[in-house]
Amino acid sequence: MNIPLSIMLFWPAVLGLLAAVLPRGLARFVELAGAFVPLAYVVVLVLDFDPAGGPQYVTDVPWIPELGVRYSLAIDGLNLWLVVLTTVLFAASALWIAFRPVHHSPRLFAFHFGIAETAVLGALFAQDLALFVLFFDLMLVPIYFLVGQWGEGDRVAATVKLVIYTLVGSLLMLAAAVATGVLVAQANDQPLSFAINDLIGNTLSPTTQNWLFLGFALAFLVKMPAFPFQGWMPDGYRAMPLPVLVFFSGVVSKVAVYGFLRIVLPILPDAALDFQMPLMILGVISILYGSAMAFTQTNTRLILGYSSMAQLGFIIIGIFSLTAEGAQGAILQAVNHGLVVAPVFFIIVLLAERAGGSEDIRDMGGLALRAPVLAGLFLIAAMATLAIPGSANFVGEFLILLGAFKSELVIAALAFVGVAMASVYMLRMFIRTMHNRTGPAVESRELGVRDAMVIVPLVLAILAFGLYPQRALEQSENSARASIRAVQERTGAGTQAAAKPSLTREGRTATASGETHP
Amino acid sequence: MIRSYLPALVFVVLGSGVGIAFAVLNGLLGRKRAVAAKSDPYECGLPSDVQNGFRFGISFYLIAMLFILFDIEVLFLYPVAIQLEAFGVFALVETIIFVVLLMVAFVYVWRRGALEWK
Amino acid sequence: MNAILAATVKTPDIDWGALGPLIALTVGACVVLMTGLLRSPAARTNLVPALATLTLIVAGALAIGQWDSNADVLEEALRMDNLALAMTVLFCFAGVLTVALSLRDLAPRDAGHGEYYALLLVAVMGMVVLASAQNLVTVFLGFEVLSIPLYVLCATHLSSEGSLESGLKYLIIGSVGSACLLYGLALLYGATGATDFDAIAQAVGGGEIRGDVLFLSALALILTGLAFKASVAPFHQWTPDVYEGAPTPVTAFMAVATKAAALAIIVRLFDVAVVGAVDDWAPAMAALAVITMLVGNVGAIGQSSVKRMLAYSSVAQAGYMLVGVIVSTRLGVQALTFYLVAYVLMNMAAFAVIVARERETGLGDDISALRGLGAERPTLAWPITIAMLALAGFPATMGFWGKIYLIDAAVDNGWAWLGVAIVLGSSLSLVYYLRVVAAVWMPSLESSVAVAARPAGARPIMAGASPEADDVADTRAGAVPAGGDTPTASTARGTHEERTDADIGDGRDPSGRDRAADRDHVGRDHRHVHQPEVVLVAVACAAAVLLLGVFPDPLFDVARDVGEAFGNFD
Repeated sequence: MNIPLSIMLFWPAVLGLLAAVLPRGLARFVELAGAFVPLAYVVVLVLDFDPAGGPQYVTDVPWIPELGVRYSLAIDGLNLWLVVLTTVLFAASALWIAFRPVHHSPRLFAFHFGIAETAVLGALFAQDLALFVLFFDLMLVPIYFLVGQWGEGDRVAATVKLVIYTLVGSLLMLAAAVATGVLVAQANDQPLSFAINDLIGNTLSPTTQNWLFLGFALAFLVKMPAFPFQGWMPDGYRAMPLPVLVFFSGVVSKVAVYGFLRIVLPILPDAALDFQMPLMILGVISILYGSAMAFTQTNTRLILGYSSMAQLGFIIIGIFSLTAEGAQGAILQAVNHGLVVAPVFFIIVLLAERAGGSEDIRDMGGLALRAPVLAGLFLIAAMATLAIPGSANFVGEFLILLGAFKSELVIAALAFVGVAMASVYMLRMFIRTMHNRTGPAVESRELGVRDAMVIVPLVLAILAFGLYPQRALEQSENSARASIRAVQERTGAGTQAAAKPSLTREGRTATASGETHP
Repeated sequence: MIRSYLPALVFVVLGSGVGIAFAVLNGLLGRKRAVAAKSDPYECGLPSDVQNGFRFGISFYLIAMLFILFDIEVLFLYPVAIQLEAFGVFALVETIIFVVLLMVAFVYVWRRGALEWK
Repeated sequence: MNAILAATVKTPDIDWGALGPLIALTVGACVVLMTGLLRSPAARTNLVPALATLTLIVAGALAIGQWDSNADVLEEALRMDNLALAMTVLFCFAGVLTVALSLRDLAPRDAGHGEYYALLLVAVMGMVVLASAQNLVTVFLGFEVLSIPLYVLCATHLSSEGSLESGLKYLIIGSVGSACLLYGLALLYGATGATDFDAIAQAVGGGEIRGDVLFLSALALILTGLAFKASVAPFHQWTPDVYEGAPTPVTAFMAVATKAAALAIIVRLFDVAVVGAVDDWAPAMAALAVITMLVGNVGAIGQSSVKRMLAYSSVAQAGYMLVGVIVSTRLGVQALTFYLVAYVLMNMAAFAVIVARERETGLGDDISALRGLGAERPTLAWPITIAMLALAGFPATMGFWGKIYLIDAAVDNGWAWLGVAIVLGSSLSLVYYLRVVAAVWMPSLESSVAVAARPAGARPIMAGASPEADDVADTRAGAVPAGGDTPTASTARGTHEERTDADIGDGRDPSGRDRAADRDHVGRDHRHVHQPEVVLVAVACAAAVLLLGVFPDPLFDVARDVGEAFGNFD
């Protein structure tokens, strides 16, 4: 089946533009259409996707021949589920906005919102390095405006900080990307091309690769954020309007994860090996630092922000275990985390409404009193975050730790601490908000139908994904293996490479059976 | 090398020599009468010791500048005049273009009133 | 004497067709000057700009008409190759936009319409000569013909002291530049024994004069002279002052066209004539480029005058563009050409908005004039937003491809660290470009930061008097450091909220007049000037920046054609 991805890609942006010119009352409905059509599209994609095949629904035309840039889109196991996540979260945000319109300029908001979705999808679809960089940088533009115009608190300073932090990384990546294209073309004596397939299997020297790696890694680590680059995160999270925060925290940071798997590992395998240990250490530090900070924060947004940092630390470890399990676990965990963090953010809004407008857990407490459903939903999401068996997060973390055990035992052992800490801070947040002593301005009430329409499907998605992650696992397996193939070839151990697939399969089936029949 | 510069050298030496000679001779032979005007650098034109607040007509400078401009432009006609036959019609056309451009400038100057003494 | 007389004088072979653009500009300048003398004011104010536009369009069309012809003109004094032609079109385009921006400006009224537009045309002519020069003599001729009208144009806003100061400053500094250039050209002639570029290239290619002190001083002096004109650091100090003082349309013209002309001759001199000595000059120029990026980007950060900010930004951009020269490959020339076109469009959009706001607000070119523009005037807000994002190199704009192209060229010839320098420079530039965007769309930052950061002696901004400042005072509840009293805060906020979305997208401004009235009583001098041509320039340039950002192919084709003019890279 041939499904043109371009329609899905540009649909949100075009509808965003439409929303900007139609009467303002229509804006949120156009926005809704802009977010839900890709969601419908993605359902078809998931059903139609062939797990055994390589890249599918390929669109590949020359765009700028002079620079060797191709307009090249495709879906494979690596991005399929991230695309699902993207469309789900944008649809949820759009629905949320439809029920709770932004307080001013809804048309402009719809415009930027649509561009944001297009940019994220574009970065995920792109099979051309220049195209990836383009969409990766483009994501920032709407986010800059969304935060600066509709944010809270010291929004402008926060958005400028966010954009400068992340764009400095992105620009270095731009230089690294151009250099990669040019140097590979020179090394292979070919015309300039940025198509990722043309760049794989290059003969760049390890030194060159290391420099290029730094450019890419910096961009991705800032975007996530990982340990020393989280400076923008607290202000950014505090200032972001919530529907934006949902897709920012849920999806945008995952594009960085995806970038490692799609670009860095296949194109720069030597560098990936060289930097394996430093990156894994960064991952561990992110886990420990994120967990510790999440435990000490009282602002609910920041608790989630730092918990995301810890989760992304896990994902980094998964990626840089440089095993198929780790890579697969990273993808799965990226999707899981997005799926889990979104409903929690929405719930935070509801909690704040019930706690006199404060997002501080010290002002909350006792909120579960008359809101059992809300509390139940929150509990499910919280449990999923701490990777309780039965959730897809459990599968994801299991795979990541499995991969980490195979490559670095010490790292894996340290990462385990993170698992335990996750339960501490998530349960702390749950207890302090839902139970505990009732806060000064707290007024407990059940969630409304409209809010439920956004949150319940998301929580159901968590449950469904937790009960039946096989489809995602199957569909991502080939691609995850392909992503680390280059690295494994460098390690050269033919026996090891032969041994790995069987292990992977064992590990996966064990996990899957282990949690479908608890 | 030095040979080609010889005429210039001779010119410089002769020129400065004659100038110095006359100045010295004048100083030696001439009769000295002290008159105020004589101590001025120039015996005509504006007084050279311009005092603060002294006002002078800008028109003078304007016209002087215009004179220099148009005067020098004419210089460009000399080479053409010398080689007129060799160039033929080409020179004629070039000269006409040149003069038309001068005319444009002249008309502009005239119409803008730069030639009127204010 | 006899020998001279006896020699048969060869009449120069003149390709009148190839000279077309120059002839059109000369004739046009004369006609415009004469029309300006007519007694009827209507003829002066309307006919003169119309004739100037017509001249520029004709000259541009004549240039396009001889694309790919590579004609040698006037005994190889000029060559109308694709670089010259592309630049000619670019200058004429910039000229037309400048005429549009000047239409309602005070400067032509002050200085006389005929003079103003005739000077503009002569400056364009000088640029064309400079960009097509093939001979050291022509270089200097073009350089002066371009410079002298600009000195005057800077000072045309006679009633403003700043404008006069700007003209004088530009004249003095420009003369120093000219002197350096002339000295350098003379030394280059002395070192190589030729004034013709091809002959110089041959002499340099021979290798005997490499490392020769005379030759190296020649290169240094020429580079210095041209660096003055292209405002390359450390020869850029005049730029902010002159840009700020000059009438804004002239600033716009200087920022784009002069820089393009200077870079065109730099690339011609260094990548054709003395390219054989590339090892001698490239490291020095690379150092200059990096200093320029640094100085420009750092200098722009603290500016509250948008014109000064753009002046520093243009310094930084000159640094990026020098990279295209330094790499001395065909790819570099192409990247430079691409970037120049992008640069012209981006800056023209920005300057058009500044011109419009200067006339509307009475706040001059201060960044506060742009505050809240997003809610108020989307047709101006979007162009300046796009221009700023494009200058910063955001994707889906020409600036993005321009930077990629330059980095591509740099890495391709082993100058990867210059590519990194471009990227780091761009990162710095985000600070001030985003500040403008923030002022346009998110008024709170500017009012708080500007009030706090403004030195005491600077232009008084009516603190507590502008509705935006009041908005902020309202939302930030006392967080404004020196906001003063805000008596009308709540009412102003109410109206602001309503109007925020009133005219997004459709570009019309139904309640504009009421709003202006609202504002006037709060104290901000706020006129709604009818100036469709300025808005049109802004919108058209911004649209082109976006459109060519998404479909840059035509421009890449042009750049490739221009690159082919550099036969020495074959």
